[in-house]
Amino acid sequence: MPDWRRVVMLFLGIFAGGIVAAALFILLVDPFDMVPFSLPIERPLVSGSQRFAYPQVMRSKRFDSIIVGSSTARLIDPEQLNGPFNARFANMAMNASSAWEQWRTFEYFRRNAGAPKVLIIGIDDGWCDPNADRDRIRHGFPEWMYDDNKWNDYLNLFNSGTLEIAARLVGYHLGLYRARSRYDGFEVFTPRESDYVLERARAGIWMGQAPRPLPNVPPPTLSDQEKSALKFPALAWMNTMLGELPASSMKVLAFMPVHVAAQRWPGTREAAVEAECKARITAIGRAHGAKVIDWRIASPITTNDSSYWDGLHYRLPIAQRIARELIEAAVNGAESPEGDYRLLAR
Amino acid sequence: MLFQSQVYVLAFLPLTVALYYAVAGSAAARQWVLIAASLVFYGWWDPRFVILVVSQITATWLLARAYEQTGARAWLIAGVVLNLASLGTFKYLDFLLASFEVATGVVFPRAHLILPIGISFFSFQLISYLVDRMRGNAPLYPFRPFALFVLVFPHVIAGPIVRHNELVPQFALDPRREGMWAGIGAGLVIFTVGFAKKVLLADRLAPTVDQLFAQATQRVLDFGEAWTAGLAFSFQLFLDFSAYTEMAIGSALLFGLVLPENFRRPYLSTDLRDFWRRWHISLSNFLRDYLYIPLGGSRHGASRYVFATIVTMGLCGLWHGAGWTYVAWGLWHGIGLIVCRGWQQLGRPMPTIAGWAFTMLFVLVGWVVFRANGFASAGSILGSLAGLNGFGGVLAEAKLIALAALASAIIPSAHEMKDRLLRPMPVVAVVTALLAAFCVFEVGKGAPVNFIYFQF
Repeated sequence: MPDWRRVVMLFLGIFAGGIVAAALFILLVDPFDMVPFSLPIERPLVSGSQRFAYPQVMRSKRFDSIIVGSSTARLIDPEQLNGPFNARFANMAMNASSAWEQWRTFEYFRRNAGAPKVLIIGIDDGWCDPNADRDRIRHGFPEWMYDDNKWNDYLNLFNSGTLEIAARLVGYHLGLYRARSRYDGFEVFTPRESDYVLERARAGIWMGQAPRPLPNVPPPTLSDQEKSALKFPALAWMNTMLGELPASSMKVLAFMPVHVAAQRWPGTREAAVEAECKARITAIGRAHGAKVIDWRIASPITTNDSSYWDGLHYRLPIAQRIARELIEAAVNGAESPEGDYRLLAR
Repeated sequence: MLFQSQVYVLAFLPLTVALYYAVAGSAAARQWVLIAASLVFYGWWDPRFVILVVSQITATWLLARAYEQTGARAWLIAGVVLNLASLGTFKYLDFLLASFEVATGVVFPRAHLILPIGISFFSFQLISYLVDRMRGNAPLYPFRPFALFVLVFPHVIAGPIVRHNELVPQFALDPRREGMWAGIGAGLVIFTVGFAKKVLLADRLAPTVDQLFAQATQRVLDFGEAWTAGLAFSFQLFLDFSAYTEMAIGSALLFGLVLPENFRRPYLSTDLRDFWRRWHISLSNFLRDYLYIPLGGSRHGASRYVFATIVTMGLCGLWHGAGWTYVAWGLWHGIGLIVCRGWQQLGRPMPTIAGWAFTMLFVLVGWVVFRANGFASAGSILGSLAGLNGFGGVLAEAKLIALAALASAIIPSAHEMKDRLLRPMPVVAVVTALLAAFCVFEVGKGAPVNFIYFQF
């Protein structure tokens, strides 16, 4: 046999063998729990990307209620809500998610687990983004995982990212790797409380500038013409989401509490625009019988630097406080005695 | 279809090779297999463009045949005009309208035509054939091999630019001839080298480059950012384009076809003329034979040389893209080549290391103009590169850039590998096969990234 022929055959054998072996490994380990003939093993969430990890949670049918949102909603613990809401929550909030991604996530849940008993939308900037319909996707949101086409799921599995997650899952079963988050999506993604340093947090909250006192001024008044020129494309998606739910579903629209330094500064036009967006969201919520709760105000939480790691992310005890207040507001219809939130629609 | 996509590597290429060798005994059948595969490959982007490329090929061949029958050169001139008109319409019409608009102040409507992929390459090949016919250097080929010479998928999108007489005779050769396994082996290795360069280096530099050049339109980059942008793009461009060439040459070798060399480690050049003998060699040769020499070249006095060089390099820039920054880049190199020749004629050679450093700096400045989104941001980046905006910031992605520099310096050219370096050793098969398999999975992480030269 000529030498080059042997080399070519060796190349083809190793290449084809490597591809087939890696593909089989992915299909059998099936880290995203989507292959019908995969090994019958436990599949905790080991992926570092919530966008890839969550579809299997929603397909599992273990949950009847859902939280969508960005990182500002990720610390809400489903176990804290389950009893009072008499529901089984999955917290499907994703870091830096866009309104589009949240809509797609909700739709995926609805198609695979049925209309949620309770839907909580953790609202932040993304819902009021005038370019929400242009900048729909962030951080490699895998749209193929959130559609109804199973074939593109299989085709998209064959990559080194999935290979790595499959290896992590094997590592989990060998005791070498821990699940990234609870199966209901809850993960404490902020640093340990014992590592908290107020001065460092303050530098992050105020972007290295000296903290500024909050002026007590109302936002400038927008004319009707200015208001009608404002576009919030994501609100049409919100309207669709709420419209798809039966009357029996509880709908909660929650403006999440970011620090006042990260909110629109009082007295600016941006604050007026945000107020208009809030008004429109409230109107949509009212039209669909949703409860609209606003923590995105100047409050004892949002004016206190020690509530936050940075301008957007509150600390774990604050998350527990928000969850308690969520129960009070949504289940009992109670106002906040401390002024932490306003109930815009009940 | 992209060379580095899973569908190409795992389905299209193996299937085409299998079909090709299944009918290897018949030259006609082999050629039809390659034509059909090439049409699928080309139409993968946009099937409408298949009509354009097939029309240009057919029209060119019919005009060449009319010349054969009548002897009237007007047929060939019409062919050149036709191909230039197609290129001009699809690639330059809006650019010309915009330029007229700036010059006259009159607003013209725009055509907004989509640029057919590879049009610069296949139009140039057709023109070169017609010019060679005029010169009496090209026969009238039968239609099938003629069409295949333009269409054959390894080179149809972005070269190497192949002469008809380099490729057409190869179509008649039985691929099962002696040396078949050596050719296939070399093809697999060379393809894998390009695959790895594209996926593991060029595409990883791309986000940094895109981000910094976009930011340069909004703000002034600091010293570190400007050097990051310049260096990262210099290596991204070379690694991306040479990777494409290697995958093209590697793919062609699997069919027993040899495509010409395109790069010979250009970032080791010690002067600018040396650079152009190593960078995009097939384009340099094309411009030399069909533009520079007909314009007078270097044998008709200094002023004619300057004219020929400036016009050739200005058009070289324009060939790359419909924008004045490309023209400026071409003229920058034209001036550089004239100065370089003048210096060499003085007979006072620069120390090698100084020559290399000076050449690389010159090339890097050119790449900034080439890549920038307009003259304002190019000027701004060059100002920051020179330290006019201070010396703050650090070189980002330093390890990746260093790795890219190393790869650019040490990886031999495709023909060096094929002709001199590769030996039939099992370790070569094991390492390259594992690397290729890894790249297949690596590229599956996201949508494959287009090659930079596809836009030209």
